[in-house]
Amino acid sequence: MFRLAVKSVRHNPKRMVLTAIAVALGVALASTTFTLTNALSGGFHQLFSEIYAGTDVIVEPAPSSTDAQGGDQFAAPEALLTPADLAAVKAVDGVKTAVGTIQVSGAVLPKDFKPTGEITTGGGAPSQLFNWAGDPKLDQSTLVEGHAPESDDQIVLDLDSAPRLGYAIGDTVTVATDSGVAELTLVGLVRFGETNSLQGATLGYMTEAEAAKLAGSDNYQSINVVTADGADKEKVAEAISQVIPDGTRAITGEAKAAEQAKQFDDLLQYVDIFAIAFALIALFVGAYIIVNTFRIIVTQRTREFGLLRAIGVSGRQLRTMILLEALVIAVVASTIGIALGYLAALGLSALVELGSGNIFGTVTLPIDALVWGYSLGALVTLVAALMPAIHASTISPMEALRESATESKKPLSRRNIVGGALTLLGVLAIVVGLYMSVAKPYVFVGAGAMVLIIGVTLLAAQVLVPLAYGLKAFLVRVFRVDGKLAANNIRREPRRSANTAAALMIGVMLLALVATFTQSLKAVVTDQFQGSAADFFVVSTQGPIPSGAIDVIRDQPGVGVVSTIAAGTVTIDGQARSLAALDPAVAEQAFDYKTDPALSQMDGGVFVDPTLTDLGVKVGDELTMKGPEGSVTVPVTGRYLNSGDANVFVDERTAEKLLGPLEYVQAMVVLDKGVDPVQAQQQIVDALATDYPLVSLSSPGQLAQFANQFIDLLLGVISAMLGAALIIAVLGVANTLLLSVTERTREIGLLRAVGVRRRSVRRMIRIESLVMAIFGTILGMILGVGLGVALVKALAEFGFTSVAIPWGWLAFYMVAAAVAGVLAAWWPARRASKLDILQAIAFDG
Amino acid sequence: MTTTVTIAASMRGGTKDYGSGEATVRALDGLDVDIAQSEFTAIMGPSGSGKSTLLHTLAGLDRLTAGESYIGETRITGLSEDKITQVRRDKIGFVFQAFNLIPSLSAKENITLPLDISGRDIDPAWFDEIIGILGLADRLTHLPAELSGGQQQRVAVARALVSRPELIFADEPSGNLDSRSGAELLGFMRRAVKEFGQTIVMVTHDPTAASYSDRVLFLADGRIVDEMREPTAELVLDRMKQMGH
Repeated sequence: MFRLAVKSVRHNPKRMVLTAIAVALGVALASTTFTLTNALSGGFHQLFSEIYAGTDVIVEPAPSSTDAQGGDQFAAPEALLTPADLAAVKAVDGVKTAVGTIQVSGAVLPKDFKPTGEITTGGGAPSQLFNWAGDPKLDQSTLVEGHAPESDDQIVLDLDSAPRLGYAIGDTVTVATDSGVAELTLVGLVRFGETNSLQGATLGYMTEAEAAKLAGSDNYQSINVVTADGADKEKVAEAISQVIPDGTRAITGEAKAAEQAKQFDDLLQYVDIFAIAFALIALFVGAYIIVNTFRIIVTQRTREFGLLRAIGVSGRQLRTMILLEALVIAVVASTIGIALGYLAALGLSALVELGSGNIFGTVTLPIDALVWGYSLGALVTLVAALMPAIHASTISPMEALRESATESKKPLSRRNIVGGALTLLGVLAIVVGLYMSVAKPYVFVGAGAMVLIIGVTLLAAQVLVPLAYGLKAFLVRVFRVDGKLAANNIRREPRRSANTAAALMIGVMLLALVATFTQSLKAVVTDQFQGSAADFFVVSTQGPIPSGAIDVIRDQPGVGVVSTIAAGTVTIDGQARSLAALDPAVAEQAFDYKTDPALSQMDGGVFVDPTLTDLGVKVGDELTMKGPEGSVTVPVTGRYLNSGDANVFVDERTAEKLLGPLEYVQAMVVLDKGVDPVQAQQQIVDALATDYPLVSLSSPGQLAQFANQFIDLLLGVISAMLGAALIIAVLGVANTLLLSVTERTREIGLLRAVGVRRRSVRRMIRIESLVMAIFGTILGMILGVGLGVALVKALAEFGFTSVAIPWGWLAFYMVAAAVAGVLAAWWPARRASKLDILQAIAFDG
Repeated sequence: MTTTVTIAASMRGGTKDYGSGEATVRALDGLDVDIAQSEFTAIMGPSGSGKSTLLHTLAGLDRLTAGESYIGETRITGLSEDKITQVRRDKIGFVFQAFNLIPSLSAKENITLPLDISGRDIDPAWFDEIIGILGLADRLTHLPAELSGGQQQRVAVARALVSRPELIFADEPSGNLDSRSGAELLGFMRRAVKEFGQTIVMVTHDPTAASYSDRVLFLADGRIVDEMREPTAELVLDRMKQMGH
């Protein structure tokens, strides 16, 4: 049986080409991602091991529950270690050298940096500024040019960043920090590790005194230790643990590198899951093509199967044979897909390296890509081939004796009933998932959407028949006899046309869904910024807004109110919760917060968001919050009505008791009445430029525009990922047409024989293609916008107030569908018009 | 001539209706027939006489509406589809008028297909003998599309013979061939009966084809109306003319 299956695939490879491409594209998507994430993981593993290569033991703040969720690799950790601690570590047995590290939170500004009030990203990737230890093992960097910083006004930068930012040795380098701007002279260039692979960050070193001054503290974030020759690093780490303060730990360099690498890999796993989801979507669309292909092939080979049945092949063997054929195709296609994916990954990584330096390790084909590639490809192909295979197994041996092969015309009624039931079930599941409070609502929505798609696919056959009737008059008027033939062809095989259109429908549906969602998100963002009474938002390019900058703004003439929001994490009943601190007295002058009662009535208490009220926290309860600085118990004095902003809202006094000095994440400026905002903005930006060049002001409109750029980027990325599914869907249209041209060879020959011109044949195929493409697109848009609207409505409590329909995008999809329809018809139309008349009539179908 | 004849296939009261209600067509009408072993039996009759239906129901390709049919001792009527398939696989060979071969398999692979399906070994001596007689030795690696019509039918006969079935059913095997290729093919079939004791049942409307057989059964309106032993083309033609063919 296996031999027969292989022979059959090899005998007629053309009809399988598009099917194989469909599978290969889906698999390639998964393979590319796995290869890239694997290379990225390799790159970062190398980076982490280089960072800790010279360090035997590291003393650092113990990872607490609060920063465990952060994962921000570039943020400076808390400085908990005093010079006394450093002395204590140095005294431990087995410690050869120990150096305290001060990391300065700041940014090296490009040479020609000018604050404009526009939002900028300053020097691009974040800066990492440290004190120069002078110990080649501990500095992780080697001096390649000039000399090390010897006095407090000197700095060295890494050899890639200095030219990028426009500095040469001898230049004055501007460093912006939380406490102001420092001007330092560039005296040398260093190389980080072996290859200076900094993933685009800027690295700088200065003297310890200068670093302490800029950091605003003598304390060290970490202490790096080199152990004496032959000492057991683990034991030394153990001994050091005894002398360091609470909240810090000692860990070997190797363990630290492994820990960071693991954190990074965990993060990459989400990327993989994301990619698998899109690969599955692409393959789901591909499955429609596979179903169609096999269905048509089974019809075309009815006599062959009948013959096999006559000479003693059982139905079961026949089914096995077709599934084996599917498997052969799946293996070939998956192999191609994996290879394609690998090549795409090579290309992409080379492209990225051109742009932002070497962030990838060696690009190799990981085992994951093989495992996932083959299993996804085989699974989808086999599942899709199952129904046609079962159908083939019921072919009677008598079929071998019939004159010609025709698909038995089953009435559509059963298909309609099943389709209708599934559609209803899908809608129901989505409604339950979105509007009823059930556990795991996304399971309901996801499964519901899947069932809905299948239901609509089944129903589409019924819609397509009357549609073709309805269109017939139109097509006949516009295209005359070609239009009539095309309309009849679509109607003749409603199942096949519907399945083809449905593949496109799924792709377009997802696009329309994402477009509707992002469009509404943009509306919400715009609303939110414009719902603010503030004239300006204060924006900091790197890290939180320095409190000094807020003081500068407050001191400017014309500034009425500066309303700040600080953020932190507290523990409530053992659960980490997000906290926002604001000044209740002025907050509402700057922003229309949705609370009950007004924020001004906070009265030293706490407002809680729906997450907590859902847990039963009521106004009047006493709430105990624990922060790094201490514990506070205050009454609940109100409710914050939007989900997703923060769990608890307190005033700044309460927040300071919990968190210590506050980190401001947002600040809004309200000007006095009658002050010209343009002038005021320029004046404040100028005032900030002296000490806080990275802090700027934006009007709500500018900020909304900025945020919307990111949403557009998100839409772009998702659309690109869906691109694979769409290409597959368009291939599906071509595939169906190609197979039906083969099937109709004799008929087309007859048309040609009675005088239909080649051009007309081509046009007939093109019209068929267009109708299927546009029909699928319309269905997809209806479903996608519908699901998008449902989703937006369900998210109302997260502040989604209005639904926005992306008309522009919908119009674009429509035009794209028409173009795709014409393109998809190219090959089949060519093939049909090139048929030799005599051969076509003699063709033994 | 001895009279101890073994029956290779038989039918009792065989009735087959197509369609339902007023549109019912009775193709077989309570028909009784016995096919003797090692004999070449031809079934003749005008169009619509039920000759093809008789072949299909006798071979287990189609089911009777009433009555019963046997292959050797095995009662086909009432067997499950799987069991009938097994009977076809193990005991019966087929030669159809056209579309006898799987297009993706070579001539040799088509010939050995029944053995491959049932997992039996090829008897190389037997295979070579058949190939030699049918003159296919230099055509074995060709695909069906590369063979002439006569060669294709000879491959079909070889396939029917190779598994040494109890019975071969042939449906107008020479129907699509020119007269010379047709004569060759029928000659081979006759040799198979004479030299190897093969049993063959053939449906044909061609008196010349029927003349290769040992016994001709004449069908009309779903019943056997006459039979003829040691037929010649002229005798068969006369008989057919009487039947109003």
